[in-house]
Amino acid sequence: MILHTLNASPSSSAFEDCLKTIAEGDAIVLMGDGVYAAIAHTEVSRVLEDTGAALYVIADDAMAAGVLNISAAVSSIDISGFVVLTETFPLQQAWY
Amino acid sequence: MTAVTKKTILIVLRHSPYGSGLAKAALNTALASAAFDQSLDLLFMGNGVLQLQPDQDGRVKGVKDVGRQLASLPLYDINHVYVDAQAVERYNMDLSKSPVEIRRLDGPEIRQLMICYDHLLGF
Amino acid sequence: MIYSLLVLSSPFSGHCSRTAAAFAHCVITRGHTVRRVFFLDAGTLASAANSVSAQDEDTSMKDWAELANQHGVELAICITSALKHGMLDQVEADRNERPFPTIDSLFMMSGLGQLVDAYANSDRLITFGG
Repeated sequence: MILHTLNASPSSSAFEDCLKTIAEGDAIVLMGDGVYAAIAHTEVSRVLEDTGAALYVIADDAMAAGVLNISAAVSSIDISGFVVLTETFPLQQAWY
Repeated sequence: MTAVTKKTILIVLRHSPYGSGLAKAALNTALASAAFDQSLDLLFMGNGVLQLQPDQDGRVKGVKDVGRQLASLPLYDINHVYVDAQAVERYNMDLSKSPVEIRRLDGPEIRQLMICYDHLLGF
Repeated sequence: MIYSLLVLSSPFSGHCSRTAAAFAHCVITRGHTVRRVFFLDAGTLASAANSVSAQDEDTSMKDWAELANQHGVELAICITSALKHGMLDQVEADRNERPFPTIDSLFMMSGLGQLVDAYANSDRLITFGG
């Protein structure tokens, strides 16, 4: 299983390539410009939910960007929560 | 320096050759990894496939030719080179003259590939 | 577990470089080891000793300093990328006839072999880019 980290906006090729490889059982951490994929009731957030992957957003990054209406399917985590995920997932792929 | 442990790694190249320093950084990492006896494969994905564009001539702009550097890959012990078939299609690329043997993969095949390694290095 | 970090993000755009520093802190807090943080491409700018930020802006330097000083984490910068970005230690300043070094002494000039050594001897390699 893969831990995907996305640091690029939902209109980027990074996001497109990430979606191409993500699968059920994976997890994705949205950070930096990736936090815009967490906005509730958007086409993008629905696409992410459909992947069956566990969805996370770095809380500070979302707050800095003013992304407060986070999709219910996305869990807010701090950096420590990010580290915990890397303990579980042996592989990380950085998309940016 | 002795890298006593041997790991299997996949270097994922996703950026165009001259738009940033990432293509060159990835290539140098690949060459260093091969020099230190690691087991590595390359995957060109998305805009990264543009690094394989034939007839590049970086000299026109006074920079090192990424295409030419890629041509030196067979001299090193790089096991396999994979490309994102959809991206190759998107840019209508002709890979028949490629100096290295290239395998085309679709999305699910790329994922299957990625989970086979100890580490993924995303550039 | 043993971790290594690869930092490709510039400290001057986005906050990924700072996230990497915070990540390294948390890795240690949770009882793991950080074998090395390797800075490559624009990531090497994290070593800029003479960078001046606006008064109301934090930089990642103090986070990296704490990692190096308190936890003995090795901060390795790729020499090829560093030189291209104007980042020189005393040795390189002398060798290239530049008047003074430009990197903070917390950082160590390294070859890419040190990145290979890092991931070859780590359970986790976490990349920070963009």
